[in-house]
Amino acid sequence: MRTGARLAALLGALALAAACTGAQDDGGDGGGVAAAGTVRILAGSELADMAPLLERAAEETGVTAEVTSVGTLDATRTVLSGEADGAYDAVWLATNDYLRLHPDAERRILTETSIMTSPVALGLRPDALDRLGWRPDEVTWAQVHEAATAGDLTFGMTDPTRSNSGYSALISVTSALSGAQSALTAEDVAGSATRLRELFAGQRLTSGSSGWLADAFRQRGDVDALINYESVLLGLDRDGAADLEVIRPLDGVVTARYPLTTLASASPEAGEALRLLGAYLRGDEAQRALTQETLRRPVAAGVTAAEAIPEGQRRELPYPGSLDVADALLDAYDGELRRPSRTLYVLDTSGSMEGERLAALQAALIRLTGADNPAGQRFRDREEVTLMPFDDTVVSTDTWTIDAERREDALAAIRSGVDSLTAEGGTAVYASLIEAYELLAAEGAQDAFTSIVLMTDGENRDEVGAADFEDFHRALPEEQRHVPVFTVLFGDSDRDELRLIADETGGELFDAVGGSLDDAFQEIRGYQ
Amino acid sequence: MRRAWGIVLAVLLLVGVGAAIVVGRDTGDGGGGTVAIRGVIGSEKAEFFADPDVVAALADQGLTVQAQSVGSWAMDDVDLAGYDFAFPSSQGPADALRGATGDPGTSLRPFYSPLVVLAHRQAADVLAAGGLATLEGDNVGRLSMAAYLAAVEQGRTWQELEGAEARDGLSGALYISSTDPLTSNSGALYLAAASFVANEGQVVADAAAVERTAPLLRTLVQVQGSQQSSSEGPFRDFVSGVGNPLVLAYESQVAALLIGGADPGDMVVLYPDTTATSDHTLVPLTDDGRRLGEALATDPELRRLAVRHGFRPQGATAEFTEAAAAHPAYLMDGLDGIRQAPAPTADVLRTMAERAKG
Repeated sequence: MRTGARLAALLGALALAAACTGAQDDGGDGGGVAAAGTVRILAGSELADMAPLLERAAEETGVTAEVTSVGTLDATRTVLSGEADGAYDAVWLATNDYLRLHPDAERRILTETSIMTSPVALGLRPDALDRLGWRPDEVTWAQVHEAATAGDLTFGMTDPTRSNSGYSALISVTSALSGAQSALTAEDVAGSATRLRELFAGQRLTSGSSGWLADAFRQRGDVDALINYESVLLGLDRDGAADLEVIRPLDGVVTARYPLTTLASASPEAGEALRLLGAYLRGDEAQRALTQETLRRPVAAGVTAAEAIPEGQRRELPYPGSLDVADALLDAYDGELRRPSRTLYVLDTSGSMEGERLAALQAALIRLTGADNPAGQRFRDREEVTLMPFDDTVVSTDTWTIDAERREDALAAIRSGVDSLTAEGGTAVYASLIEAYELLAAEGAQDAFTSIVLMTDGENRDEVGAADFEDFHRALPEEQRHVPVFTVLFGDSDRDELRLIADETGGELFDAVGGSLDDAFQEIRGYQ
Repeated sequence: MRRAWGIVLAVLLLVGVGAAIVVGRDTGDGGGGTVAIRGVIGSEKAEFFADPDVVAALADQGLTVQAQSVGSWAMDDVDLAGYDFAFPSSQGPADALRGATGDPGTSLRPFYSPLVVLAHRQAADVLAAGGLATLEGDNVGRLSMAAYLAAVEQGRTWQELEGAEARDGLSGALYISSTDPLTSNSGALYLAAASFVANEGQVVADAAAVERTAPLLRTLVQVQGSQQSSSEGPFRDFVSGVGNPLVLAYESQVAALLIGGADPGDMVVLYPDTTATSDHTLVPLTDDGRRLGEALATDPELRRLAVRHGFRPQGATAEFTEAAAAHPAYLMDGLDGIRQAPAPTADVLRTMAERAKG
């Protein structure tokens, strides 16, 4: 979300730059439809690093790209539902493969232009490499599995139900551990479940976006490896953010292709503008710039990849060929393969929440209890969920565990817990948060992704304040100190206060003032 | 249902295409010097018709062409009233269009391009050592289709072949990456060539032959997983050094690259010993449409420009030979001993594609 805001600011500046050059009506391209001056692109969040190149493209072509950042899954949903029609002219994602598995995609997409590529790779800290005794050019996913199973390797990756880098990683490890020689089948997924579960036992960081994951990895020296785009890993290493050996496992990778994709609904003028933009980005000069600046691989013959990009080919693991297989893999990951989630919701039910606000909160939580929701959009099997409403103090603490066998019962119980929330009293933000951590401490060590969601619609009105929480947090044992707090800005809550809590705990701030509470709670699922 | 799908597709393309629409020059030609004509084209030719030099050369012939990209295999579902020509990338759909429009006039085939398979050096060497290909130079060779198809049917893997190294990306099932045969011409032509070989050198024309070749075609497609929608995608993957070791491409894509002066590195162009050819076939629907076809076939400047885009002009091939002569290491100018598999009819091919995908 921070990335989105930064990008929006930058693009505002770009629009000005383009207005000054006013180059789009020079008619220099031999006739044809006049190109639009601005194109609206729904783009993957990791493409924020293309902003400088898009700025140059605007100068050269007169076409300004107005970019909205989004995750692959959300973009796919937006395109398929038709919501993108009229709102955007193009989508620009790591891949269209998942989108194209949907029967409706064909009529929503007009043309695709490949711009650059980057395989999903493994970034390993050098001390871990030494400890494991691996040679970087000989590592396989099978070895990664072995090391994770033995407790010798921990890693972070994004949530496959949210983010393409995570999904690509999931395809890679499933292919490798099932021994599949070609595109995955349902049998491959089922047959490798045990090994996949052993592998994912080593996962320590999960997130809905690549950017946050990289930040978290930087702060967590105890996590050995990061699975992400080669370009992101090389970038962390180049920028000194993390010392990393970038490994493309010998048993195969899944590569992002970044096709600039014109939507069928785009106007002819926008289509022409996108053609010009695509042609510019495919030109030698832009290709050289993008490989040097973003460390992705160029697609123009004769433009050599940046020096940091390792040589040698890798087997390309095919993307599943049917939606059934693709979704079965996501369901399996979410429900059975990944480490379970331990989730605490610390919810402001003070008097100011009465009425619409409480109703919005209840609706957002209820939406997470839909048993038929797609993977990643509801409370997961094996997840332990605690609702901790507070006003002057914590009002109640109720915990449910979602057992696959009795899933509907557990979800119904959570629903009735949500229904019984009432709004009254004051706002003790920090004291309640401290209680949440104390609850976790009392539970002891758990093999789960543990996180806290803090939603408040006002400022703290209790004597226990930010400084007290800071002292408390600093004194926590390492395990609890690593539990992130995902704060939700809502109503009249204090952005600085919530930003500080998120930063201190390694969490993230989600804005439900600019967006909706529903969307914020959905997005947070990717981090839980 | 299929017709409805085709019409929806066509309408969307007509409304949205933009990128490939060329409305000609309103200035510089003194106005009424040219006739504006409209047509539907296979997307492989979009860049050709968008090339400013092509626009100018057509204007010299008195033509302003508005070309709209439509999948070649969807053209027979488009209502062509008001159009002057249809220009699919294969003869199959052209024949279907001629039948449907009731115009028995000869269609024109101004240029064509055979399908080739691209491999990097190591992959080509491994194929040659394994008897699947023969190399005729550093960067050009021949793929034995019968041997290749047998290997895919048997589920052969790279690691079973001598000299294949995982560090060169040579592991896992051996197969050629193509495009989606339901939407893309090159993917459909791949099935045409494979089925011709599997059907003992006969074009698949009836239900029995569809049945007989279906298991092989299904394997060729299913092994690939998700397929890209345009030959541009796998080709760019190859250039970028990622993706599957073997990629189906049009010769025109390679030739355009070479003629444009780019360095293709260690690319080896394998011509399948039985291949299918993209016959860019213009079906005139009006006299003006016929004029365009004739100009493309005969005007020296337009023929030269077709070569710039990597196409082989029809008839005497001096232009292509001359351009290819500069790149003998990669291109097989004469196509000696390369058997051309005719494509089945559009309906048969679509049935085959549906069964292979389903």
